[in-house]
Amino acid sequence: MITQSMLVRLHRARQQLAQIEEPSPPLSMIAQGASLSLSHFIRRFTAVFGETPHQFRTRIRLKRAKELLALGEGSVTDVCMSVGFSSLGSFSWLFARHFGEPPSFYRRRFYPSIERLGLTPSDFAPECMSLMVSAWATPQFSRSDFI
Amino acid sequence: MRIKLNSIFVDDQSKALSFYTEILGFVPSQDIPVGEFRWLTVRSPEGGETELALEPNANPAAKEYQEALFVQGIPLTAFEVADVKAEFQKLRAQGVEFTTEPMQAGPVWIAVFSDTCGNLIQIYEPPEA
Repeated sequence: MITQSMLVRLHRARQQLAQIEEPSPPLSMIAQGASLSLSHFIRRFTAVFGETPHQFRTRIRLKRAKELLALGEGSVTDVCMSVGFSSLGSFSWLFARHFGEPPSFYRRRFYPSIERLGLTPSDFAPECMSLMVSAWATPQFSRSDFI
Repeated sequence: MRIKLNSIFVDDQSKALSFYTEILGFVPSQDIPVGEFRWLTVRSPEGGETELALEPNANPAAKEYQEALFVQGIPLTAFEVADVKAEFQKLRAQGVEFTTEPMQAGPVWIAVFSDTCGNLIQIYEPPEA
């Protein structure tokens, strides 16, 4: 059983882990802030959120990196540093492992079309019904396929 | 008009699809890539036509709404089960964390768990007809 207080503490820890613009505190400190031992913190966090604190932090950083790359903000190295990675090598490797291509390829593929269309960060945040509309508008489902 | 679609916000669609199919036992239905995201729905293997869309919480408004309910301990939606206590035992054995263990609310049994995607989900057993 997870108490309301534990829920709030785990949520607060998760928000801290998602703060990527500032140097991130070590996990032991975040666990302490949640009044849990490090091992207990990792176990409860993983059970409640479906990924370890480290996996969560990495996922959030890579997601932010993707946005910055697509929007053409800074060099790949700048992006790597600004989302809290200290090594370009490990950033590129992790990015490629998660998204199937290195950050430089991703930028080259996305940035030109985004610049042309004049998209902004809010365009990366669709909501349910707009996703549905876009999904059914993709060529594979267009009416002409059925005629 | 018919009600055939419900949706919940999730923090990561791949993680959500795993939890909703492998742990909760729903069946994947539609999965269409849309840019960075997917139009992703599941349905119940026990019948019924309603689909549940696993919607990305990329929009800050969605994220705020989801988190606010979560810290207040409020379930985002509810699924009906035949036996809350049996479902609770099964899910707990798979590592699911409950915030409310099976309890009776009038004629209805309920329990609440974390769906690992940032939501609390209620299961309920309706009163016997």
